Amino acid sequence: MPGKWNSVERRVTQPINKMAPAVDEIVLPGNPTFRGITDKISGIVEAKTSGIWYALFIPSAALALMFVVLMCHLFWTGIGVWGVQVPVGWGWAIVNFVFWVGIGHAGTLISAILFLLRQRWRTSINRFAEAMTIFAVICAFLFPTIHVGRVWVIYWTMPIPNQMDMWPNFRSPLLWDAFAVGTYFTASLMFWYVGLIPDLATLRDRAKSRLRRILYGIFSLGWRGGNRQWRHYELAYLVLAGVSTPLVLSVHSIVSTDFATSVLPGWHTTIFPPYFVAGAIFSGFAMVMTLSLLARKAFGLQDIITVKHLERMNLIMLVTGMMVGYAYATEFFIAWYSGNDYERFAFINRAFGPYAWAYWIMITCNVVVPQLFWFKKLRTSIAVMFAASILINVGMWFERFVIVVTLSRDFLPSSWQYYSPTIYDVGMLVGSFGLFLTLFLLFLRYLPMVAMSEVKGILPQAQTHTPGAPSHA
Amino acid sequence: MNHSGGQKHWRSLEQLADTAEFRQFLHREFPQGASEMDNSWSRRNFLALMGASLALAGLTGCRRPEEKIVPYVQAPEEVIPGIAQRYATSMPFGAGAYGLVVESHEGRPTKIEGNPLHPSSRGASNAFMQAAILDLYDPDRSRHVLHKGHQKSWDDFVTFWREQRSSHVDDRGASLAVLCEPFSSPTMARLKREFLNTFPNSLWAAYAPVTDESIFDGTKLATGELLSPVYHFDQADIIVSLDADFLLTESDNVANARAFANGRRIDLQRVDMNRLYVAESGYTVTGAMADHQLRVQSSRIIAVAIALASELAAQGLQLDYMRGIPQPDLSADQLSWVKAIARDLMQARSRAVIVAGRRQPAVLHALVMAMNAALGNIGRAVSYVSPKDLAPSNTADLARLSAAIKSGRISTLIVLGGHPVYSSPVDLNLPESLKQVETVVHCGTHVDETAQQASWHLPETHFLESWGDARAADGTASVVQPLIEPLYGGRTAAEMLQFIVTGNEVRGYEIVRDTWKALLAGADFEKRWRAVLHDGLLENSAAPSATITIRHQEIHDLLSQQPSEFKDAGISNLEVNFAVSPSMFDGRFANNGWLQELPDPVTKLTWDNATLMSPKTANELGVGNGDVVSLTYRGRALEIPVWIVPGQADYSVSLELGYGRSFAGQVGNGVGFNAYALRTSDAPYFDSGLAISRTGRTYELATTQEHGSMEGRPLIREGTLDEYRKNPRFAQEMVEHPPLVSLWKDRAYNEGYQWGMAIDLNACIGCGACTIACQSENNIPIVGKTQVRKGREMHWIRVDRYFEGDVDNPRMAHQPVPCQHCENAPCEQVCPVAATVHDKEGLNTMVYNRCIGTRYCSNNCPYKVRRFNFFNYTKDYHETIAMAQNPDVTVRSRGVMEKCTYCVQRINEARRTAKREDRQITDGELLTACQQACPAQAITFGNIIAPDSQVAKAKADSRNYHLLGELNVRPRTSYLARLRNPNSELSEA
Repeated sequence: MPGKWNSVERRVTQPINKMAPAVDEIVLPGNPTFRGITDKISGIVEAKTSGIWYALFIPSAALALMFVVLMCHLFWTGIGVWGVQVPVGWGWAIVNFVFWVGIGHAGTLISAILFLLRQRWRTSINRFAEAMTIFAVICAFLFPTIHVGRVWVIYWTMPIPNQMDMWPNFRSPLLWDAFAVGTYFTASLMFWYVGLIPDLATLRDRAKSRLRRILYGIFSLGWRGGNRQWRHYELAYLVLAGVSTPLVLSVHSIVSTDFATSVLPGWHTTIFPPYFVAGAIFSGFAMVMTLSLLARKAFGLQDIITVKHLERMNLIMLVTGMMVGYAYATEFFIAWYSGNDYERFAFINRAFGPYAWAYWIMITCNVVVPQLFWFKKLRTSIAVMFAASILINVGMWFERFVIVVTLSRDFLPSSWQYYSPTIYDVGMLVGSFGLFLTLFLLFLRYLPMVAMSEVKGILPQAQTHTPGAPSHA
Repeated sequence: MNHSGGQKHWRSLEQLADTAEFRQFLHREFPQGASEMDNSWSRRNFLALMGASLALAGLTGCRRPEEKIVPYVQAPEEVIPGIAQRYATSMPFGAGAYGLVVESHEGRPTKIEGNPLHPSSRGASNAFMQAAILDLYDPDRSRHVLHKGHQKSWDDFVTFWREQRSSHVDDRGASLAVLCEPFSSPTMARLKREFLNTFPNSLWAAYAPVTDESIFDGTKLATGELLSPVYHFDQADIIVSLDADFLLTESDNVANARAFANGRRIDLQRVDMNRLYVAESGYTVTGAMADHQLRVQSSRIIAVAIALASELAAQGLQLDYMRGIPQPDLSADQLSWVKAIARDLMQARSRAVIVAGRRQPAVLHALVMAMNAALGNIGRAVSYVSPKDLAPSNTADLARLSAAIKSGRISTLIVLGGHPVYSSPVDLNLPESLKQVETVVHCGTHVDETAQQASWHLPETHFLESWGDARAADGTASVVQPLIEPLYGGRTAAEMLQFIVTGNEVRGYEIVRDTWKALLAGADFEKRWRAVLHDGLLENSAAPSATITIRHQEIHDLLSQQPSEFKDAGISNLEVNFAVSPSMFDGRFANNGWLQELPDPVTKLTWDNATLMSPKTANELGVGNGDVVSLTYRGRALEIPVWIVPGQADYSVSLELGYGRSFAGQVGNGVGFNAYALRTSDAPYFDSGLAISRTGRTYELATTQEHGSMEGRPLIREGTLDEYRKNPRFAQEMVEHPPLVSLWKDRAYNEGYQWGMAIDLNACIGCGACTIACQSENNIPIVGKTQVRKGREMHWIRVDRYFEGDVDNPRMAHQPVPCQHCENAPCEQVCPVAATVHDKEGLNTMVYNRCIGTRYCSNNCPYKVRRFNFFNYTKDYHETIAMAQNPDVTVRSRGVMEKCTYCVQRINEARRTAKREDRQITDGELLTACQQACPAQAITFGNIIAPDSQVAKAKADSRNYHLLGELNVRPRTSYLARLRNPNSELSEA
């Protein structure tokens, strides 16, 4: 049972750096007690599995299973089951890869960068944003792995000592990609797991069944909550935040080099790294938004994930959406300014060629839709932001699609060809959502979806003896 | 499984193999595919099949001809494994033959090349010759003697025929008839004579759907005797083609293409080239090479010819028979075209030639022959030879045969080759009348439409399994010698005819030798025979140029009978054209997957034909690409999809022959639409009176090139001869780009061999021989129509086709694109596993074993020449198709990228040879497959840093340019700009 929360908003200062300006507002309405938070969040994990959860989990798991079956078919038959061809050698698999990697970015951004920037409102959403990152990166990693022609030798991309005495080709952006995404996954997983340890210990201590006690016991690594442990923990968390922060920028920059290092018109552009990072944050926040709105509703977390949280995320989407829009405009300007006919053609073709429909979906969703968030009324409306967050992710998926199908018309018109996906392409995109949702629902069911210890850390009770804190009312 | 006692246990494979099933199996020699497995799937059957496969695997290894044939280039004592042998032979084709040299690996032929000594090929080839090797290994070839659909043995037929024969000998062949394919073969001609001696009252008809019949008829009209034209295009400065696709689908096209290209070759010594005018109803590759192409309906070609003759007469040429012939009504454009040509012809006189196509009627050929004679070019740019040993196709004979059958006179019909049931004129109704014949004996390579109708079917051998002979277009006597013992049994056409005539079986070798004993009369037969076998031809056996006397009065009379008004076809009265397919020819190659997948040079369609029409015609009919229309002509209907081709004459639609076969085999059955269903004996090539209506349905056609415009990009760089004279570097100056510099010091590539290629776009005719040659040499799989539609064709060298200019009167140009072997290759840098890397000789190599299939290399290739194995295309190869593979080249499996290697296996072979002989590889010793095949010699290859090499000279040419060179990829393949030689008079108009 949650404790009684007051309706009065209180102001607190940062717990970590005393010198930082007190800018943050209290973002949790009421005045929850430590126990209240613990009960609320742990209660979700400990309660009997709800019907809604099953109703969501079964179809998700079915889609994930479909994904596995489709992959088996793919491995058995060959990637010809997809629509890929010459000239469009990459199809939905790579679109999905970039899409999912992009989704992952919000998690790291929220957990690491906002942490370093003392944006304390992040505590309500960082845990499942991080979880989302992990699962999105898992989905992302699958696609480039399965898209190769001979998946059974995919490990050749790794610098593993071998009888052939062969190194991989360090000049290839695909290799950088494998390293970048691999590093990103490892760092995100570590970050997430370290953050989970105190909460896992809480669950262990509250566990009523032996199995839970053992499992949570193992994963909480003997956490006792002693001062020394907290000191080590906070230091480790800070270090991991420091490590993760550059990854937010590097991963998608490197993913963008998959395209930018090529010679192709429409791909060979230096704007790609910042533009991809902005787009990734944009889409990641949209995904966090979609999921948090659903979780908030399903588990009654309105008091922990408040409209103020949501509004801030919307503002970030407005900013990153405009960065993306600016990048689109710059691409066009540079295509014209470069005087390169192939480049000019590629962009005119994007907007008016056979894939114009995809381009205008992208522009509408990514540039027009976020403009709604200029209006306070709209950016605080749950319905509007839910619809917008979904549209933005549709738009961002299409952004990657538009980039990939630029291949369909490159230098020699003789090889121009229209690319269409097959049912297998569609099935695998849908299946990856199934996998993502399955993992996410398992997370919601078995792990604390809000970082209890961190939320407690920003409660006024935790600040009472900090100099500069408001006095007891 | 049924167990009925202990004796079912078997002890050894041999014991098991001694079963009825196995005997039957051995008899049939090869499993017929999956259906065999489906029936009764037991351990017993399975093991029997396995055992049989083992036995067959042994058999295939020792298939070698028994008779002695002489190795052509290398003469090892015995076959040395890994060392290919080359034998000379010939490929009979219509009334001619192509001289071949066939490469054989351990007793199995794998690659066909032209015979450098042979006038029909001079070492080059065309797509048909290249693809013929696949026909040899066609698993659908007939294997058994069939009687009314039941399997019999050859001995059964022997017994049957000996009885029949004696009764036919008794009535002197009165109820006996032969329907054969046209041939020009000393042996077949001798056997035909013997046949007619034995059965003097019999009927003999030769027929094929696409032949030079009207050309022969024309020479008969003009001179009174049957003559065959042989062109020497290198001797001509002005060439006028009236509907003659002499570079690709007409007879002797390989020699023509070479001579024509020679007449266009520009070098420092000679800055001049021939000028080609083509009048045709739809683009052909010859039209694409034209300096001026006139779109004109086929039925008006004769009007153009008459106008041309009148104009020549008006300009003072001695053409008396034109007096009093009315001028046909030509449009102003056409008239100015004709006038300009006439002036050019008058200037060039004996260095000019007019060519008329086989699709045109005899009267046009007679007129053209008379014009050529008046120009004084006979014996120079064209000579006429009297063909020997020829059985020309004759539609009248076929009609006589058909009438005789209908009258009930014929009780036995022997069909020697061809596919008359499929392709004979529909008005003769041959399939129906065959039912009246008591015994139809069909000798053919396939159980095809005709075999279905025959009471006896006898399997015929492929020419690579046969002893035979043939004369080339110029009369050169050539031998056909086997490279392999018949894969499926069978008899050669000569053996069958010999047996039919005499009732005695004689081996093909003896039959041919007997003929040649007469040909090589005199001393030293053995020695000269061996020389013939070695060379593949009899030296100096070309027919001498005949002296011509033109029968002016006859021509005058004929022309007077021509209508003076030529009605234009219109939207309600369209002209139908039956066109010769550059890949199926007349349908004989329908079961050849390479040719089915070879894009048409003009439409770039694969695996289908369509009704071709101009954009204007399609617009007026309200149809678009892929719309199925119903064609109605003389009460017969055909449903076929539309394909719009710029450059087609308005209101004239074109149907390619050779598609829509029902019994061609697994590959060819039901591919495309059968245009023979509309074709009648009196209008075999074109006629008016076609109506088209929409059906509302659509059909999916597979093209390899969806976009026909260059979008203003400098891809095929083209200029006129005058521009070239003013600025020889015009092609290089077409693109301005910043200096191409590198951030680091690049590898110099300045020692050893540095391989490179130059492709002369001024010579390339776009025929696609290179594509098939490459496919054969490099074991490139076919992928089928649905995969082509997806953009997954595997050709390592493709021929791009672009239209330029006005959509109604476009120009067409071709550009072959293989891997460019960029020194600064974009593909290499992006591969994560270094599966594509550069070697020190400048080759962009592809390491299949290392490739994991990310396809980034293909994405990053500006030329899109890389091909990916999306599926395991080679896994289900039939055992015989596997035999067609080149053992020097890896057969690729699923999931790896592949592309042109510059025939690295040939480079390495040359390197080994040179090393063994302690010397350098000499220039010209090493040819890539595309280069060797190219009939126009457009491709040169070699060491670019050897200053004297052909390729270095080509690259030093001022026309040399790099495709997309501005990307600083530094391609090793370069192009020589295309030149046109337009008539200034017409350009200004």
